Amino acid sequence: MHKFITMLKTEFTLSIRGMDMVIFALCMPVAVTVILGCMYGSKPAFEGAEYTFLEQSFGAISTIAVCAGGVMGLPLVISDYRQKKILKRYQVTPTSPVLLLAVQAAVYGVYSLLSLILVFLVSALFFGMHLPGSWGMFLAAYLLVMMSMFSIGVMVGGVSRDMKTASIAASILYFPMLIFSGATLPYEVMPEALQRAVNLLPLTQGIKLLKAASLGLPIKSAGIPVIIMCACAVICGGIAVRFFRWE
Amino acid sequence: MDETIRISGLSKSYAGNKVLTDISLSVAAGEVYGLLGANGAGKSTMIECILGTRRADSGSVRIMGLDPWKNRKQLFEEVGVQFQETHYPEKMKVRELCEETACLYEKAADWEMLLEQFALGDKKHAFIQELSGGQKQRLFIILALIPEPKVVFLDELTTGLDTKARRSVWKSLLRLKEQGLTIFLSSHFMDEVEVLCDRIGILKDGGFIFTGTAEEAMAQSGCGRLEDAYLWFTGEEGTEDA
Repeated sequence: MHKFITMLKTEFTLSIRGMDMVIFALCMPVAVTVILGCMYGSKPAFEGAEYTFLEQSFGAISTIAVCAGGVMGLPLVISDYRQKKILKRYQVTPTSPVLLLAVQAAVYGVYSLLSLILVFLVSALFFGMHLPGSWGMFLAAYLLVMMSMFSIGVMVGGVSRDMKTASIAASILYFPMLIFSGATLPYEVMPEALQRAVNLLPLTQGIKLLKAASLGLPIKSAGIPVIIMCACAVICGGIAVRFFRWE
Repeated sequence: MDETIRISGLSKSYAGNKVLTDISLSVAAGEVYGLLGANGAGKSTMIECILGTRRADSGSVRIMGLDPWKNRKQLFEEVGVQFQETHYPEKMKVRELCEETACLYEKAADWEMLLEQFALGDKKHAFIQELSGGQKQRLFIILALIPEPKVVFLDELTTGLDTKARRSVWKSLLRLKEQGLTIFLSSHFMDEVEVLCDRIGILKDGGFIFTGTAEEAMAQSGCGRLEDAYLWFTGEEGTEDA
């Protein structure tokens, strides 16, 4: 365990120095919160709603960091470490390169949790957000979203030929997911046809779960989101394990 | 004498091209073995096959009686490796790379002392990318020494170092040799091999064309200098240098 913590500390420091994730996983969700808070303030989500627009959006905003870390950060760092043969160096030590991958996943897990706390504090302190839902349910759903997003990242990083390929693949996945899953652009303002299309994205399903959990709404059909996200984690994780290349 | 490294019948080919053919050799405990050969002769492939980062097509390797493929975790507690090129994440500091390497081992050497010993003590907080070529090379040798190994593999030991830096690396290695460290190195420098190595092997086209001591190489070839003997064996004298 000691080595895991030592490495997590170092790798997190390196990532902070890189700045990308500070911007995409920490600053951006806070900025979106502030913008939505200022625009819609404490207006109800719709006429007669018992919760505000921001309260409705909290679950979605909290996934921005998960999406950035899982679909952008993780694949890039994995392909970078492989291309630079850093993974190979771990093959001639008593630990396995899997340790390094686990540490990287933990780095992005830390970013996600930090962002969750920041977004919550900003919403609660400045925009009077109050969530009646269950934190336990919310965190369980959050963990599930992380698993499915990170599995996509490990797959993309694991099978990409080099960093350039990984970077292109990550962008193709990241931007549509970020915009259309409801993480930034609220799902509720989308036309119905678009809503039906984006329902196929695992992140959209994850956000639905998070919303229901945070607002304390009855979860009518938790089955479908859970199945879609688990399927995503299993399929992507499976592909990653099957086709992973150390160098 | 105790046998530390034993290789028998090692062969490897890539896409039908034989890179290593039936290599056998044995290195005793405390011995320094030098692998010579032109670029592309198979030195790096051989080291990688010995370490198990590449799987040989046939043959067996034992390091301190352990199979590097099957007993990887146990073996690499006591084996240090410096690959021909060592890579590190961007924006990493010397201290961080040492810490991260040291934490992987059950018992690790005091890396701060190693930094002092290799004249890098004042570079502890420097970014690795800001080090000179020679300083980087010394750092990578330190990484190989962090496990307090019984055996080290050093691929292209002092390539890129200036004369003074090379001498100081030799001195450090000779001191470690006195303490009983077994060293397996590859090199392009005959002076280095003469100073450090008890025995040498010259690789050409994936096979040994000479194994023995430097003196034997000179005696067999009738050359007074190891460099001439090397060229005599490899038949590279007078031909265009690759």
